[in-house]
Amino acid sequence: MSFSLAHALTGLFWLGALLLLGGLARRASLWQQGHSASVSWLGLLAMPKRYFVDIHHVVAREPAVARAHVAAAGGGVAILLLSALNYGLMLYQGWLDVLLVLMAAVMLLGARMMQARRLQAPPRLSQGRWQVLPARLRLFALGSLLAAGLLFAGPQMGMAGQLIAVAALLMLALGGAELALGIGLGWPMKHAVAGLLHLAFHPRAERFAGKSSDLKPLNLAAGELGVAKVEDFAWNRLLSFDACVQCGKCEAACPAYAAGQPLNPKKLIQDMVAAQSRGTDPAYAGNPHPGREAAVVVKPGEDIVGSVLAAETLWSCTTCRACVENCPMLIEHVDTVVNLRRHVTLSRGEVPGKGSEALANLRNTDTVGGYPLAVRYHWAIDLDLPVLQPGDQTEWLLLAGEGAFDMRYQRALRALVKVLKAAGVKVAVLGAAERDCGDVARRLGDEAGFQRLAKANIATLAQYRFDRIVTPDPHVFHCLANEYPAFGGQFEVWHHSKLLEHLLARRAIPLKADATPLPPLTFHDPCYLGRYNDGFNAPRNVLKGIGIKVVDMQRSGRDARCCGWGGGAAFTDIPGQRRIPDMRMDDIRETGTGRVAVACPNCTAMLEGVVGERADVIELAELVAERLA
Amino acid sequence: MKIAVLVSPAVHPVSGRPCAGEADLAALALAQRLPGELQVWYAGAADDAALADYLARGAGTIHSLNLSPDSDVLSALGSALQGVDMVLCGARSGGGDGSGLLPYQLAEQLGAALLPDVLDLSKSDRQWRAVQALPKGVRRTLQASLPLVASVNPRAATAPGWSYARLQQGKIRRKAATGAALAPVVLEPSRRARALVAASKVSGHARMQGAIAGGDAKAAGVVVKQGDSVEKAQVVLDYLRQHQLVDF
Repeated sequence: MSFSLAHALTGLFWLGALLLLGGLARRASLWQQGHSASVSWLGLLAMPKRYFVDIHHVVAREPAVARAHVAAAGGGVAILLLSALNYGLMLYQGWLDVLLVLMAAVMLLGARMMQARRLQAPPRLSQGRWQVLPARLRLFALGSLLAAGLLFAGPQMGMAGQLIAVAALLMLALGGAELALGIGLGWPMKHAVAGLLHLAFHPRAERFAGKSSDLKPLNLAAGELGVAKVEDFAWNRLLSFDACVQCGKCEAACPAYAAGQPLNPKKLIQDMVAAQSRGTDPAYAGNPHPGREAAVVVKPGEDIVGSVLAAETLWSCTTCRACVENCPMLIEHVDTVVNLRRHVTLSRGEVPGKGSEALANLRNTDTVGGYPLAVRYHWAIDLDLPVLQPGDQTEWLLLAGEGAFDMRYQRALRALVKVLKAAGVKVAVLGAAERDCGDVARRLGDEAGFQRLAKANIATLAQYRFDRIVTPDPHVFHCLANEYPAFGGQFEVWHHSKLLEHLLARRAIPLKADATPLPPLTFHDPCYLGRYNDGFNAPRNVLKGIGIKVVDMQRSGRDARCCGWGGGAAFTDIPGQRRIPDMRMDDIRETGTGRVAVACPNCTAMLEGVVGERADVIELAELVAERLA
Repeated sequence: MKIAVLVSPAVHPVSGRPCAGEADLAALALAQRLPGELQVWYAGAADDAALADYLARGAGTIHSLNLSPDSDVLSALGSALQGVDMVLCGARSGGGDGSGLLPYQLAEQLGAALLPDVLDLSKSDRQWRAVQALPKGVRRTLQASLPLVASVNPRAATAPGWSYARLQQGKIRRKAATGAALAPVVLEPSRRARALVAASKVSGHARMQGAIAGGDAKAAGVVVKQGDSVEKAQVVLDYLRQHQLVDF
C-alpha cells in the first residue's frame, strides 16, 4: 500500500511540475509581447538576497503578516523541495518523510494564520480567488502532512490507512492545483513564480544597489514616445505586473485614492495585467478606481489609455511614490504612470486642465507660470546677492526655482538668504539665466520638453564655476541630483535643509541666546525630499537645532501623505470627493500643534491654499531666520 | 473643395519668442472641421522653429513661400492661392504690424468674397453661411458663395493639443518667391476723438418752448389751431418750402 502511495505521489509531483512549466511557458508568451530589455542573468543569483533583504524591509513593517508568510511560503517551498527529492527523484527515504511532516506542520500553521486574517480582511485586500487561497494552501499542507506521515508510519495502518491515503491524495491534488495552475491561469499563486522572476529581472535593478527614484530618459531620436500598447512595455515590465499580490498597500497609501479621485494603484496594475492577458485572467475582485466600474473591456490592439484605463486615472497620480514605497513586490507604479502619460502627451497632445498651459509656458518662457526670466530674483534686489556672470566663481550656487515667482514663497527665500549670509556662506545666483528644471514637464509626460530644458540648463551651468548647488525646492534638487546625470550634468546638489543642518551642526549660524522655549510644531515631509531622496532627518535636525520639538503626524517620514502638487497633479486637477491638501491639513490638525513646518515651495502653496481654519504654514528657513541673533 | 489656411508666427508677449498665433490656430482648427482638401500656407521669412507650433498642433505639412523679410507677401500668396475655393486666416496676425489688412487685400486680389471675423462656417445649399463675431457678444450671419476668404476669430475653434509626435511627422515644404517691397511703416500716435460740443447750452425744454411758443422770439414757430386739415398742412408745406427743405 505504502509502495503505491509513494508512486502516486511521484506521479502527482511530476504532473504538477509539468503543469507548472506549461503554465509558465504560456505566461512567458504573454510577457514576450513586450519589447526587449537589457537584463542581467546574474539577477537570478541575486534573487535570494533581494528576496530575504529588500522585500523583507517592506514586509516586516506588518510583522504578523510577515510571520504568516514566512511560515506558509517557507513551509511550502520546503515541502516542494523535499517532495522533489524524495518522490520526484524516487529516493523514498523515511527521514525525508519526517522532515516533510515537520515542514507541512509549519505551512499548515502559516496558512491557518493567513486564513484567520482573511476572516477580518481589511478592505484593501482583494477578494475572489485570493480570499479562498489560504484554505487551499491549508488543504495542500494537510495533504502533505497526512501522506508523509502515513508513509513514515508504514503499512500497519490497514484499511484506515488506505482511506487516509486517498483523502491525502485528493487534498494534495486540490491544493496543489493552486500552485501548479496559478502561473498559467493567472490565479493567485502566479505571484510566487512571477514574483521571483521579477526580483531577478527587475526593470529597475539598480534599486537593489541603493536609492533609485529617477525617471529613465526616452530615446526620442529613436522614436520612443512612451507606452501606447502592451507591446510598448519592456517584457520585464509586463512580468512585474504579474508579481502583484493585490495586497492593496498601495491603495491604502495613495493620496489620490483617499481623495476619491479615480485612481487606485492596485487596480492600475491589474488593468495592465488585464491588458497583457487580454482579459483571460480571473476577473478583478478588489476595489475599483473610485467612481468607476471595476470591470474592464480589453480590446486587443487598442491603446491602453482609452480602453482598459481612463485618462483621468493616469492624471490623478501625484507621483508621490507612496505606492512604490509600500509595495512588498517592489513594483514601480510611478514608472508605469509616467510611461503611459508620455504617450498621451507626446503623441496625442491631450494634457487635461491647466497642464497643457503649463507645458506651453515652459516651451515659450522656460517657466511654469509664464513669467519673464528676468524677474526671478526681484525679491533679492535689496539683499546684495551676487548674480553670476559667465566665468564667475562661487562656493554655493543658489537655485530658487519656480517658487521665486510666488510672493508667499519669496518670504521664505529671503529668510534663507538672510540665514546663509549670517552664517558667512558665499552664495550667488544665476539671475535671468536660470530656467525651470523641467520637473513638471517630465512628470506631465513631456519628455521632449524636459530634455530640452535639462540640456539647456546643463549647458548654462557649465559656464560658471561653483562648488555646490543649494536649492530649497525638492523638485529642483531631485531633477538636478538624480535626473540630470543621464544627460551629462554631474553636480553636487544639496537641499537647503541639509545645508542648514550642516551649518547648525558646525554652529555657524549665530542663534539668539534667550531660553524662551518655542512651541512645538509638526513637519510635513516633501515627497521629493523624503521618499525620493531619503531626506527625512535633515529637516528634523534643523528644527531640533533651533530648539523646536517636532510632533510627528501619524503619517510622516516614509509614510507621509503628499500635499497633492506633485506630478503636475495641481495643474491637471482631476476632480475627486476631497482635495488632497485638505486631508493633509486634517493630519496636521490631529497633532494639535497649530503650526506646520514645510521645506518645499509647492507644499507651502498647497497647504496655504487650504480654505477655512488651518494651521500656520512656515518654511524651515523662516523658522531659522526667526532665531537669528 | 480646396481649402487653404494661412498661418504665421506670433511673438510671445512675455519672452518674445516665436509661437503660434491664436487666430491662425483657430483658422487651422476651423478648417480641419470642414470637408475638403486642406493646405496650410505660410509666406515670409520665418525659420522652421518659428513654425514648429503649427506642426505640433496638427498642420501636417506647411507650404512655405520664402520671401525676404522686407517684401510684401500679398502677390506671392495671391498667385499661390489661385484655384483655391476657400481661404481661411486669422483675423490678424500675432506678430509683425498685425494690421489685419491681409484678408481684405487677398480677397480683392483673388476676386473672392470676404467674410470678416468668422466664428463658424457651414454649408447651406450652394452658399456658405458664416457666423460673424461683433463686439459685445453680438453675432451676425453672413452668406457668400465660393470662392471666399474668411478671417477667423481667435475664439472660433480650438486646435488639437501640442504634440511632439505631430511635430516630428510634420513637414515644411519651402519654395522661393518674390514680392514687392513693403511700403515703410510710418508710426503715428492715434488721434483722440474730440468730445462733441452742443451748439447752444440752452436746455431742451427751453428750445422746445422757443419752437412752439408764439410771440416775440425770433425762432418762434406758429401754432395753428384754426382751419381744417388741408389748411394746416398748407402751413407746414409753406414752412418747409420757405426753409428749402422740400423742392416742390
